[in-house]
Amino acid sequence: MRTREGLMPLVVREITRQTPDIVSIRMQNADGSPLPAWQPGAHVDLQLITRHERQYSLCGDPADVASYRVAVRREELSRGGSHYIHAFLREGATVWVRPPRNLFELGEARAYLLLAAGIGVTPILAMARHLASVDAEWRMIVAARTRDGVAFADEIGALGERATVHVSAEEGRLDLSTLLGTIAPGTDVYACGPAAFTDALHALAPTLPEGSGIHLERFVPRAREFSPNEAFTATAARSGVTVDVPPTRSLLESLQGAGVAVSGSCLRGVCGSCAVPVLAGAVEHRDSLTTDDDARVIYPCVSRARSGEALVLDV
Amino acid sequence: MLSSDFRVLGLEDIRATLGEPEGPSMQKITDRLDENCLRFLAHSPFATLATADAEGRCDSSPRGDYPGFVRALDDRTIVIPDRLGNKIADSMRNIADNGHAALLCFVPGMIETLRINGRAVVTDDPTLLRALEQDHSVPDLAIVVHVEQVYLHCGRALLRGGLWDADMQDLATQVPTSGQIWASTSGWDTAVGDVIDDAMSGAYRALY
Repeated sequence: MRTREGLMPLVVREITRQTPDIVSIRMQNADGSPLPAWQPGAHVDLQLITRHERQYSLCGDPADVASYRVAVRREELSRGGSHYIHAFLREGATVWVRPPRNLFELGEARAYLLLAAGIGVTPILAMARHLASVDAEWRMIVAARTRDGVAFADEIGALGERATVHVSAEEGRLDLSTLLGTIAPGTDVYACGPAAFTDALHALAPTLPEGSGIHLERFVPRAREFSPNEAFTATAARSGVTVDVPPTRSLLESLQGAGVAVSGSCLRGVCGSCAVPVLAGAVEHRDSLTTDDDARVIYPCVSRARSGEALVLDV
Repeated sequence: MLSSDFRVLGLEDIRATLGEPEGPSMQKITDRLDENCLRFLAHSPFATLATADAEGRCDSSPRGDYPGFVRALDDRTIVIPDRLGNKIADSMRNIADNGHAALLCFVPGMIETLRINGRAVVTDDPTLLRALEQDHSVPDLAIVVHVEQVYLHCGRALLRGGLWDADMQDLATQVPTSGQIWASTSGWDTAVGDVIDDAMSGAYRALY
């Protein structure tokens, strides 16, 4: 069962239906005092009274220091509490929130192409609002299957001509390959959406012009195949504990089982909350965050030691 | 001692002592889960599951998980994931033999309990099981119950028993640990009981 250590109790002030399947939730401290600051692309871990916990991108206005806003899509048979949020969460209820972290930061670029599909609009909307406020060179396209499936349509409209909506039921599927073919060198692409959308963009990355990069935020792990799990040992250097990690358990479970304080949230290698520095040993990175195979930070919820290696961790 | 050492009453004698149920308590029995029942279930982390074998011999087993683990698929259908347990599968065997099942659902801090009775089946439907994933683990089986009877049971029993009173938890200090009970029923030394308790506290860390 999950704990509430490190989480802030916030009060749900406003639940707004954005589309038939998406509601937005605005939360505040009970006394309305300021919340930890955040930048576009940041997300929070949100835990419900049922202890279900999931990550949501912040999609409000960072200048509103007293509120966080997230949006949640209804999933018919949901695992992480989306069903609870849609069916049972009420204004005035308490939720528990971990201070924002940002794994999808806006970097410096000559120009920005922001792409969102479905609920993926949440971090992208915050980015567009920021880029508009600093007068950057940017463009945003929000794709949805149907017109009534576009969340925050009025806020997108208020951003002016640089922000457009693409309704695939009316205009056909958004042609990503043509779209990326038209961008000027030095344009960075930021995109968030379902796996099919981010996977398609990931595959197109090599076609980008010189000096352009692509930054993806995923809801679900990148689909990849790994060799079967092997047993290995890991030493938590600061705790002085060595654990045997059997093939059937994750490194995170093994560390937690031995009483080493590492917290996890998504348990699928997408949220980054269990990050642990590695002091020794080669890591097989199985998460969806690491881009460098030799990175010295491990996400122990999914990643393991390479075959025959033992790990030493700074925890 | 045998139960036949006592005077055995039939229903008529029982009614003569208790009287008839009052109107309102009969009316609150329904055949579906209304909004309040759904809300109750969504906040319930614990239930007992009663089943019976082909001859009607009963068995009751505890079930617990994240609140809402007994999930309503609609107002007449609920599903219970089968999590890691002892693999004895008494409930599963009974359901395969007999199919009648009764759930008594609890919400911590609430004295009323929700009774749900119906016909159960065991399934391995992959779509359903995937949706029941918790902490990275998909259950191997699930129990689907077609709801026939639902009602909210009054709180007198839990109130009298003080079940949710924090200061009642000192009762557990006077009961032997599971390791000691196990050792004693197996005729082993209490030191073995301590070893079992140690092993159990490790095993209890892997809940899924």
